[in-house]
Amino acid sequence: MIRFEGAAKRHPDGTVAVRGLDLDVPAGRTTVLVGPSGCGKTTILRMVNRMVVPTGGRVLLDGADVATLPAAQLRRGIGYVIQQAGLFPHRRVIDNVATVPRLLGWDRKRARARAAELLELVGLPPETARRYPAQLSGGQQQRVGVARALAADPPVLLMDEPFSAVDPLVRAGLQEELLRLQAELGKTVLFVTHDIEEAVRLGDRVVVLREHGEIAQLADPHTLLTAPADAGVAAFLGRDRGLRGLGLRPAADVPLAKLEPVHDGWQLTLDQDGRPEHWLHDGQRHPVPVFAPARDTLRSALDAAVLSPSGHAVAVDADGRAIGTASRAAVVAALAAPGTPEPDAHDSGPPESDAHESGAHESGAHGSGAQVNHAGR
Amino acid sequence: MLDGEPLVRWHWLGDHLGYLAGLTGDHAVIALVPVLIGLLLAVPLGLACTRWPRLYQPLAAVFNVVYALPSLAVFVVLIPYTGLATRETVMVPLTFYALAVLLPTTVDGLRAVPEPVRQAATAMGYGPWHRLAAVELPAAVPYLIAGLRVAAVSSISLAAVGALIGRGGLGYLFVDGFQRTFPTPILAGIVLVALLALVCDLLLVAARRLLAPWATGVAR
Repeated sequence: MIRFEGAAKRHPDGTVAVRGLDLDVPAGRTTVLVGPSGCGKTTILRMVNRMVVPTGGRVLLDGADVATLPAAQLRRGIGYVIQQAGLFPHRRVIDNVATVPRLLGWDRKRARARAAELLELVGLPPETARRYPAQLSGGQQQRVGVARALAADPPVLLMDEPFSAVDPLVRAGLQEELLRLQAELGKTVLFVTHDIEEAVRLGDRVVVLREHGEIAQLADPHTLLTAPADAGVAAFLGRDRGLRGLGLRPAADVPLAKLEPVHDGWQLTLDQDGRPEHWLHDGQRHPVPVFAPARDTLRSALDAAVLSPSGHAVAVDADGRAIGTASRAAVVAALAAPGTPEPDAHDSGPPESDAHESGAHESGAHGSGAQVNHAGR
Repeated sequence: MLDGEPLVRWHWLGDHLGYLAGLTGDHAVIALVPVLIGLLLAVPLGLACTRWPRLYQPLAAVFNVVYALPSLAVFVVLIPYTGLATRETVMVPLTFYALAVLLPTTVDGLRAVPEPVRQAATAMGYGPWHRLAAVELPAAVPYLIAGLRVAAVSSISLAAVGALIGRGGLGYLFVDGFQRTFPTPILAGIVLVALLALVCDLLLVAARRLLAPWATGVAR
């Protein structure tokens, strides 16, 4: 566990980076520090491995003041991942990853064997081992950076905006990978980002910081999005936070209706494997928005329902085969009952506006949606 | 040149092959040993200048001034200390010239390591000197070799001037040819100096491929 006790950093010119932080970072969990640039989050992170020495207070790692540990020894026990990966340009990928084990005195063969394991763990193909960093894409370099940080199996991982410099698609992949890794490894992760989306996606706990490293709110992501501590935090969370909160809830909460050949006058066609092909209406083909209850979020389910021309989102399994449908009404009803199966399909308060909004070209969508819902029980 | 004197007397070349080879070897030693010594001095000085940046400006200024001095004048000034027609009289100034080229390229190379790379190294537990030696210095190799290419070629060219005080390998062919208004040795000297420079440059390019395979298309 990492504990900050009144940890402060005042620069020699008198400016205050961090006024005095009290924070416990629990072991085996991911704690995200998020805040605008200049809020001191990177400074806080670097106090842990003594890249920044506090001018007041102290930082404890498993009860020991980090100031009392030799810097090199301390740092070799803490993984550190930064935005531009910071790989050594003159070393092959495998030797980059083997750096810390080598520093710890492992022989080359053992260090490289360990490095090869790590490359596999972060999802890099074996042939990347012999390459030089300049021959990799940004996303691959970041993976190598993560592998290098994990090479000596440190209990603590510090990550400073590690995914900020890669494009959004790659970033989403890396975030997913980190979640998977963390589920497997259970490190004590302290993660810094300015991106609130990333914070709520990755964090078990999110610490929202304002200027001088003051904690504006410390909460789990769902609480943060649904109950911001004050107007400042709400503003930082941005618009649509209710909607974004749905991104934290599983799509499995949506009750599915049985697949019918025709929904409200829209015919759903499937290919021979049972994958959705088209919505047919008046001889016109329309695309079929889908969601996968097993891995998607409520937000995806709602999105699919909103986008669907028929007003019914199609649920698919891992292979893309249709397994059921959910009307807009059913999805919205699921939103109202967080985490539990929606008990009463007649409770159609919220869906009214939905039906109204789309009523012009989907007469009766609401009513029959509710019925399909019954059928799904 | 003289009327009737051909540009090249091929039989003279044939008769003097051993002599020409000896001058070429001499030239290579006089020109290139100073570059090697320059390199051996530039690396520790460059490391020190990177570790203590305040050192760099005064040192660079001194070497720039030395570089600006005409070589012949420096040879003459050195004669009382090293003697006329000794190799040292030519090699000492050439060492300073090489250093004047190599120190800035070494420091540039060491500084060219991106800040995130430095930070990552520090975060993995490298101390300042260890990091300089294990991370920044290898990363500076392409820069060092780029500097060596400039230093070696200019040293080969400058060494010829040493013939005016009695030493200078292939430079002697120029002095000899002018005195006797005999163009063959002059042309032979020009071709051999150019060949020597070319061979050196190719060797350095090969060295770069070998020592810094990662840098293909990354640095100069």
